[in-house]
Amino acid sequence: MYKGGELNCGARLYIAVGLQAGAVIALQIAVMRIFAVGNWAHFGSFIVSIAMLGVGISSTVMCVRQPWFERHWRGVASGALLAFGPVAVGANLLAQQLPFNAIFLIADDSQKWRLAGNFLLYLLPFFTGSLFLGTVFLKTRQRFARIYFADLVGCGLCGLATLGGMWLFATDQLILIPLMLWLAAGLAWAATLGSARVLMALIAASVVAFSAQTWVADSVGLTRLAVSEYKGVSYARRFPDAKRVYARATPFGQLEIYASSYLHFAPGLSDNAALNLPEMPDNAYLGLYIDGDGPLGIIRDLPPAQTAYFDYLPTALPFVLKQDADVFVVQFGGGLSTASALNKGARSVTVADSNPAVLAAFRSDAFLREFTGDLLAKPRVKVVGQDGRVFLSRTANRYDVVDLSLADSAGLSNPGGFAVAEKYNYTREAMQVYMRALKDGGILAVTLWNKEEPPKSVLRLYATMVAAARAMGEADIERCFFVTSNYLSTATVLYQRGGFTAEQVATLKARVHALSFDEIQAPGTHSDAHAADRVIAAYRAQIFGRLPAAGDASVPSEDDTSGGDDDFGAETGAAPTVMPSVALARAAWQALLSDEWPKIADSYVYDLHALTNQRPYFAAYLRPADLPRVLDRLDLLQDEWGYLLVWATLLIACCAGAVLIALPAIFGWRGLLARCPGKAGTLLYFACLGAAYIMVEVVLISHFILALSNATVSATVLITGMLVFSGCGSLCAERYLDSARRVMPLVFIAIAALLLGYGLCIDRALDLVGALPYGWRLPCCFLLILPPAFLMGMPMPTGMTWLARLGKEQMFLWAWGVNGCMSVIGAALVPLLATSFGLSSALILAGLLYLLALPAFHALLRPLTPPATV
Amino acid sequence: MTVVAAGSALPLASRAALSTPFAFELEPPSGDRAEFVEWMVNNRGEDRSFLGQRWDRLQIMVDHKDVWDDAVKRAFLLTPREEFVPHRNRSHAYDHNFLDIGFGVTISGPHLVGRMTNSLELKRGDKVLEIGTGSGYQSSFLAHLTDRCYSVEIIKPLAARTRGVYDALIARGYGEFANVTTKSGDGYYGWEEFAPFDKIIVTCGIDHVPPPLLQQLQPQGVMLVPIGPPGAQRVLKIVKGVEADGSTHIARTDIYNGRIVPFVPFKKLDGDKISGTHNG
Repeated sequence: MYKGGELNCGARLYIAVGLQAGAVIALQIAVMRIFAVGNWAHFGSFIVSIAMLGVGISSTVMCVRQPWFERHWRGVASGALLAFGPVAVGANLLAQQLPFNAIFLIADDSQKWRLAGNFLLYLLPFFTGSLFLGTVFLKTRQRFARIYFADLVGCGLCGLATLGGMWLFATDQLILIPLMLWLAAGLAWAATLGSARVLMALIAASVVAFSAQTWVADSVGLTRLAVSEYKGVSYARRFPDAKRVYARATPFGQLEIYASSYLHFAPGLSDNAALNLPEMPDNAYLGLYIDGDGPLGIIRDLPPAQTAYFDYLPTALPFVLKQDADVFVVQFGGGLSTASALNKGARSVTVADSNPAVLAAFRSDAFLREFTGDLLAKPRVKVVGQDGRVFLSRTANRYDVVDLSLADSAGLSNPGGFAVAEKYNYTREAMQVYMRALKDGGILAVTLWNKEEPPKSVLRLYATMVAAARAMGEADIERCFFVTSNYLSTATVLYQRGGFTAEQVATLKARVHALSFDEIQAPGTHSDAHAADRVIAAYRAQIFGRLPAAGDASVPSEDDTSGGDDDFGAETGAAPTVMPSVALARAAWQALLSDEWPKIADSYVYDLHALTNQRPYFAAYLRPADLPRVLDRLDLLQDEWGYLLVWATLLIACCAGAVLIALPAIFGWRGLLARCPGKAGTLLYFACLGAAYIMVEVVLISHFILALSNATVSATVLITGMLVFSGCGSLCAERYLDSARRVMPLVFIAIAALLLGYGLCIDRALDLVGALPYGWRLPCCFLLILPPAFLMGMPMPTGMTWLARLGKEQMFLWAWGVNGCMSVIGAALVPLLATSFGLSSALILAGLLYLLALPAFHALLRPLTPPATV
Repeated sequence: MTVVAAGSALPLASRAALSTPFAFELEPPSGDRAEFVEWMVNNRGEDRSFLGQRWDRLQIMVDHKDVWDDAVKRAFLLTPREEFVPHRNRSHAYDHNFLDIGFGVTISGPHLVGRMTNSLELKRGDKVLEIGTGSGYQSSFLAHLTDRCYSVEIIKPLAARTRGVYDALIARGYGEFANVTTKSGDGYYGWEEFAPFDKIIVTCGIDHVPPPLLQQLQPQGVMLVPIGPPGAQRVLKIVKGVEADGSTHIARTDIYNGRIVPFVPFKKLDGDKISGTHNG
């Protein structure tokens, strides 16, 4: 057993720390990817929580037994480091044999234990990783700024390397990346100690870890990635004639394409197709799955005789008015909109997609090219290799039709939940971009799934599009919109720049009638504006817990055979002539066009705010104040589970954080920590830093999608930029340690000012950056990150080093743990703040937290109380 | 494609007949829990515990207006739901929740199945097609209402497993399940051989209503299509109407007439009265 001694703070140690910190980050990313492909979400906040809990537990243990760790630092650090690889592999393999499915948490008791098992298993490697880093921090506390620099820069660069590694490794082998980083860290650590024993042990641990992940798993038959049977791709795999024709692992998701005669697509198809079409084309589709989700339909290059069904799709509606059109397809997806536009005789079709991997597949794969008739190479098709919204914001081209059809949804039953994800393509600002890209008389056609009851997504869409038209300064908004929907299917909004003529309205009405779609809004047609009151009152009564009435109106009553005049059937028990959601949608349009919308929006069962770049979500419909009223019926709100999971994570993080923060206080407040004045201030200081730093990082990842168009690229840029620049800030902080009392207040004020400024202006700046060629966008984004990230790297090492200088060793470890615990809380807070108050609110709150840390910093600097003399 | 006529997998001689075989005229007691349980034990040889749970669940469903027709209530009481639930979940067979049955498929909760069945307004002799056999519970329920049930399952091993459940039950004397004819295949194209159907019930996800199914639906026929995630499903009700001039039109509503799927409160029975709460 190694005991005592000093740790040599040389380059080898910094490399070891940087690589091991990077291995921890890489493991987080790998586990998120494993969940994304195997389950219904990446559970990002869940994984971050586990990782930070690892920090919290290790710091708590070390804080309580600090002298012991001081004495045995070599053994602890080496043992923890050596254990990381085998434990990471073992935990992941065991967790994959213990899959859980969140949708059965209520129905199946065993799911709770499976979830707990996953939590504990994944906690183990993060605990060992944190134990190593914590021990090193403890031993190098006098030079913490440098070691923290290595930690942050290692995290940033290894995060970048992990994302790059996704091109090389399939998701089930992605864990090899943190393993390789760990092995390199171990070599550097062995070199730091100059220990042959550690080196030999490392080699043995590596053999165990790598072999377990590769051939042992194969030979024993252990699955490395358990894909839920409820994922879209699992259904495809079970089709008797299913054949995978394309597979590619990319940072933009794992793409798989299946061929099967059992795949059928026609999103939003009119029921009347059955009355007029002799048959649907056979074997006409492939199913595209991204991370196992889908399918998106890829259509075969059909001969004209088999394409009649395009006429019965909502995507064909704008072509009733626009022949020989120049068309822009905002999101290519599986190519249905593009095929539809070509079929309807478009002169040109320009297609875009924010996922480059999808376009690359269609352009490069021989099978796909043949199947689709080389769709993207057709003379009338022009491909824009970037996000359609961003392209349209800077192009001078104008189009007859801009199409945004079912861009983000496969539309099938989705067992699970919908993640709180930014939908910048549907914001008011995006709609304005599309509207500006129209020629005079051009049509913007937006189609969305309309399968919710009570409706929510379509109502947000309507509010957003009207807000955009108002912002465009349209004189007569009512004339600009024609809206139709098909019950429990799709809703389509047509916006014509300058307004529809009476003749065009008549043409559209005739077409909608022929399709048996419901007419929701047409210029010159008015519906019962008061219908909304009755429908909303009924929705509120039903969703917020009224027990079923004795006379449920939807059940035919023996006593009541009267017809009545209630067209919802609420009084009569008969099937309504107008479905409540249809009546509500019509009344909503009346209200939107006459400025009475706030009355409906305020009284509705869900939050119906328009999507903006600040609140770009088709999620979080439940108002936080209503949450307590629905806790006993969560199974009815499955499409909100992504949002509810964030609340659950916050709750768990707060409880776990409180316990971990309290334990050292309970054990040491009157003992070990008794001589440390300014405890509350120190606690506040590191709590503020932990929460604020992660809030800025998480919220900027969401913000920067505006300029970078892709969540993965944005996460890469932000993780790398923030951590590397903060690492540089940490290194720089070392120069100002002696003048910290004078310099740090300026740093805090500068950070707060920057974050406030970013909160107010960042989306406009990112809009400008987004208009640049992609090669310029990346350096511009890094430049935007640099000032706050650099400054935000200074407070943590300054505080930690001063704790060490003042001899507050227990406080030093405790502070590190507090920082970690508050990081979890901060990460969970961001989506809740963003969905309620807008993304900038998180930046502004983070700025305020840095201001709050300023006075706390002075409390931290209070010297130790001399021990009482007898 | 494998078509299996009901009951064909086992020879008749091997079936252990229940003391009272099924007949459409069979009427278990419906006024008293103890009488019902006793009658079923004596005549159908079923487990007392499950029978009690079945009775209790029905009372909640009736109270909740998920079943209102006497024939449907009787069908529910005669259908041994526990036989269609995997063994690990059998104790939850009469819970409100949907349950996992493997292959990424769930068995819907009794309230939804009851509501869908009642909304079909099946009459004896109606020809009904089910797309998505799944556990087999829905079609077994239907088999107590009509003798012409056809069911298609896309997942071959699941179709085989459920066929095995039927055959085993038929062998035990549940002759009513001979009313269900099954096959494994692509339900998108319906079952042309037995078309047209009076009623069609679809229990799998699709992004549109398959035209072949609408074509195989009789005029004035009814089709039900659940839409959305399990537990929060809407059930689309399509009626293929015929105008006076002979033209066809298709009307869309849902089985709750546009209201949200009502919340089923946790409650339990105390004797014949509903009181207290539990998820049972």
